[in-house]
Amino acid sequence: MMEQIDDMLNNLIGEIDQLSQSLNSEDDTKEVKDASQEQSTFSIGFTDLKESLNELEDQDLDALVADLESKSSSEELLVCEEAAGLVEEHPLPALTHEPVTVPPEVTEEPSSLMQTTKAQTKLDKIKMALEKLKEAKVRKLIVKVLMSDGSSKTLMVDGRQTVRDVLDTLSEKSHCDQSINWSLCETNPELQIERDLEDHEFFVELLSDWIRHSENKVHFTARPHKYVMFTDPQLFYMWKKKISSQGVVNKQTKELLIKEHFGGSSVIVPDLEGKLYLKENGKKVWRPQYFLLRASGLYYVPKGKTKSSSDLACFVRFENVNVYTASNYREKFKAPTSFCFVLKHPCIQKDSPYIKILCCGDQDSLLLWVTSIRIAKYGPVLYQNYQEAVKRVSSLQTVRSKDAPRLQDQDGQSNGNTFVVNPCADPSLPISTPAEFDSDLDEPPPDFIPPSPPRHAPL
Amino acid sequence: MAAWDLSVIVEDLGADAPPITISVASDLHIGGVILKLVEKMQIKRDWSDHALWWEQKQRWLLRTAWTLEKCEVHADARLIFMPQHKPLKLGLPNGLTLKLRACFSNPVFQTVMGICRLLSIRHPEELSLLRPVEEKKKKKDKDLSEDIYDLTEVPLSSVSRPCLYNGMPAHFADSDKLEAVYKMLSVTQPLPAPEAIAKQYRPASVVDKAHINGRWLDSSRCLMQQGVKENDRLWLRFKFFSFYDIDPKYDVVRVTQLYEQARWAILLEDIDCTEEEMMLFGSLQYHISKVSQSEPQMLCSSAALDDLETALQSLEVKMEGESSSASELLKTMTAPELNDYLKIFRPKRLTLKGYKQYWFKFQDTSISYFKSKEESIGEPIQQINLKGCEVAPDVNVAAQKFLIKLLIPAPEGMNEVYLRCENEQQYAEWMAACRLASKGKSLADSTFQSEIDSIRSFLAMQKTNGSQGHADAGDESINPHSLVSPRYHKKYKPKQLTPRILDAYQNVAQLSLTDALMRFLQIWQALPDFGLSYVVVRFKGSRKDEVLGIAPNRLIRIDLGVGDVVKTWRYNNMKQWNVNWDIKQVAIEFEGNVNIAFSCLTADCKIVHEYIGGYIFMSTRSREKSDVLNEELFHKLTGGHEAL
Repeated sequence: MMEQIDDMLNNLIGEIDQLSQSLNSEDDTKEVKDASQEQSTFSIGFTDLKESLNELEDQDLDALVADLESKSSSEELLVCEEAAGLVEEHPLPALTHEPVTVPPEVTEEPSSLMQTTKAQTKLDKIKMALEKLKEAKVRKLIVKVLMSDGSSKTLMVDGRQTVRDVLDTLSEKSHCDQSINWSLCETNPELQIERDLEDHEFFVELLSDWIRHSENKVHFTARPHKYVMFTDPQLFYMWKKKISSQGVVNKQTKELLIKEHFGGSSVIVPDLEGKLYLKENGKKVWRPQYFLLRASGLYYVPKGKTKSSSDLACFVRFENVNVYTASNYREKFKAPTSFCFVLKHPCIQKDSPYIKILCCGDQDSLLLWVTSIRIAKYGPVLYQNYQEAVKRVSSLQTVRSKDAPRLQDQDGQSNGNTFVVNPCADPSLPISTPAEFDSDLDEPPPDFIPPSPPRHAPL
Repeated sequence: MAAWDLSVIVEDLGADAPPITISVASDLHIGGVILKLVEKMQIKRDWSDHALWWEQKQRWLLRTAWTLEKCEVHADARLIFMPQHKPLKLGLPNGLTLKLRACFSNPVFQTVMGICRLLSIRHPEELSLLRPVEEKKKKKDKDLSEDIYDLTEVPLSSVSRPCLYNGMPAHFADSDKLEAVYKMLSVTQPLPAPEAIAKQYRPASVVDKAHINGRWLDSSRCLMQQGVKENDRLWLRFKFFSFYDIDPKYDVVRVTQLYEQARWAILLEDIDCTEEEMMLFGSLQYHISKVSQSEPQMLCSSAALDDLETALQSLEVKMEGESSSASELLKTMTAPELNDYLKIFRPKRLTLKGYKQYWFKFQDTSISYFKSKEESIGEPIQQINLKGCEVAPDVNVAAQKFLIKLLIPAPEGMNEVYLRCENEQQYAEWMAACRLASKGKSLADSTFQSEIDSIRSFLAMQKTNGSQGHADAGDESINPHSLVSPRYHKKYKPKQLTPRILDAYQNVAQLSLTDALMRFLQIWQALPDFGLSYVVVRFKGSRKDEVLGIAPNRLIRIDLGVGDVVKTWRYNNMKQWNVNWDIKQVAIEFEGNVNIAFSCLTADCKIVHEYIGGYIFMSTRSREKSDVLNEELFHKLTGGHEAL
């Protein structure tokens, strides 16, 4: 059984090699066609490829060239020029149509020591095969990112890189200080909205939703509210309490709140509810409506109904929408306040009735809703992102020399709604590693223990 | 020391047998009494599980080294010599009854530990026993015909060390009968008939929900002391909703029973959810019942093989993923595609024209259409990429309406497109293709066929329910009313429910059995009211009944007039709590000089005490200590000092 799979995998890997070589020539002709068809793909901040290449830093350029040389370079470059800034490579088409099914018996095989080692080598082979498959189709993109000091940096990003990876590259290039708050913020000037990209998202994939000649920009900026749900969980999980009593929340309580809401097998969404103004499709009026947030989506109380679960009407689920903060909607749409947020499918780039616009009473409430919706949408991933960010920062702090010039993490860089959170939470302060939830975090039993109930009196 | 006569009833001799009298002295220890008794009876058998129960004082004489004097036993004492383990009918979370031997002499906390060891459920501290809700016995014969699974044969000594044999704990592997019991415990039950759901008691209010909590047994006292008799019926349920370290690999029975308890809580509206959530729960139940019937559960597996399996699966997925975005040119040569005449309608376009027929081609993740089949070699009239779109069914089998509603995202907004199919087969294929494409998968994906099958089985569901007079309702057909609470039985007809559940189903259809069970539990745990146990109380200084909700991390006060939470207290702010057993009042002090006190109306205050202390106990568990259950701490926190 095992041998069969081995053979199969060996064949597979060989096949991949063959295909990626033999298809190179075919590829080029295809690429030209593709590129001309896909001219609608975007250039990120450039008018043409030459400009974008000029702005690339040396080592990136070297890498790009080396990369292209491994293919038949001249034609590829031509392709790139047509695609204006977008370097796309996708060779290796066909192989996949041969269905690769694994004999089901494998899983039923009882394990033994010998087989475990075999399984291990097989695992390695599988990993190799997966890597090859991945490399075979990688999309590359040259992107201009606006820095918070007004300058810009140009990078080459490939399809496998997450926002986290891009952030790491940028922090290195800009020698900025260590903070978990550095974000990549996507702005859409046409809709006057912006969104901080989440660390786990794939950067190239996000940008591919932009239309050609989009005015959209990506900013590298520090956002004090990026992980506010972890630095100040009480804002979301004790929001009903007065701010004054929230202020005295100690570190232990915060850790406990995080453990309770993010440490279990499912993330608990803040039980947020309240009145929001809804801009109805195509109408100019803003209608007040009572909304409730649940893990399964955003709900409202229909007219004449109660808040009980079975009465609630679903306003939107989060699978297919992202949450954006809007700026200046008071002017643009005559919103009751300037604290608006938007829920829309990432593909939608222009004004449309499919964009849902909501307006909050004040800044705090806007932060509460937007952050809580992020918790509902992303769940445990958000916590992993935070832990990863904290880990990066603490490891960087030890590695990096202190005399390097640094970009300062300044609050309120961007033009949109920026949240001023708890003033005591200085984002540039080093953050302690998130608790690993071990014994020292567990609540000690209270020292006072009530007495036992009286025993039954003897008959 | 003077000898006197002690009469002991031996339970095993029968109810009518006269007591056996032995001559004892006050300095004789209990072990000696038992020895004398056994000698006098002259019956050769294993008496090791037997002990003396003192009827009048309602207590066991378990300390064999203590003398009769120390135990305060005199000649007037009526002692009963009986086994400590007796058969008990245990109602399981899945609704079935299991007969087993439970310990009647140790505190219930230990009895539950023993039961859980037998059933191979980890973390027994999360479960407890309660008295069942009396069922109205309309049909007496029904009780007799009830299937009772029997575990009383399992030798008690064999359970102490759980080791796996043939994928199940060794004590289940002895006979086919026991194997069947394990299967019952570890495999989810088939979907209940809608009538079975409707027949069961459903709490109509939060006060109704409070009543069940008055039935919990006291963890610090034994079954005998709480009036439980041999062959009595008790329920085993998860009581503390803080599930520690769930690992599907080691927790097969635990996860299955937890799922069953959660499923019934939702079906009987013991926990509230929205309509969307109900449909999602329904689709998961459908999926779980389907998969658990077809997929024999993987009970034992080494870690390495598990990893391999996942790696192979992801390899498979990856490769299919690649194919979906591979080059156009080669796709046409190899990739499967659909071609057919369909009708299209765009509701948002300002046109009076209705559905128009075109020749459609489904390729990769895109639909293109042409004037006719003959023109399909040229440029299409339009090509629509369905990646990231929303797909909704609009089907009425009786009316032969097969509509696929597509909502396709574009920079300018969403485009609405309706595709009309002629028949079931065509619909199932195109619908399956649309669903896969919306997730970025092509027709080459291995799940294409199973997607078609599941759509067809949903159509079948609609067909059999649409015409109830038909006799062709085979055993495999499922009534969608089996998947939702009775509220929706009234609100929707089966054929209205089917597309709603199908809609939710598309997001869960690819889950493995374990993942589907875990997803169900996760969504359940994410409900706002999850983990709340209610008790009707009267707060000190207040004249009206209110409800106290006890959650894993907090107490909430619900005003019955407002019907809403008016106050929340978190345990980590708790400084101390006290119970006044005379006036049955619980008093709690929180940080910041917050004092509350209440008397409990629907449950004994020991139960409330045990809930609060129990949750504090649950929060002290940690990985290093998890091997050994700190029973002493549990009793300390829950007011059961004397049980130690």
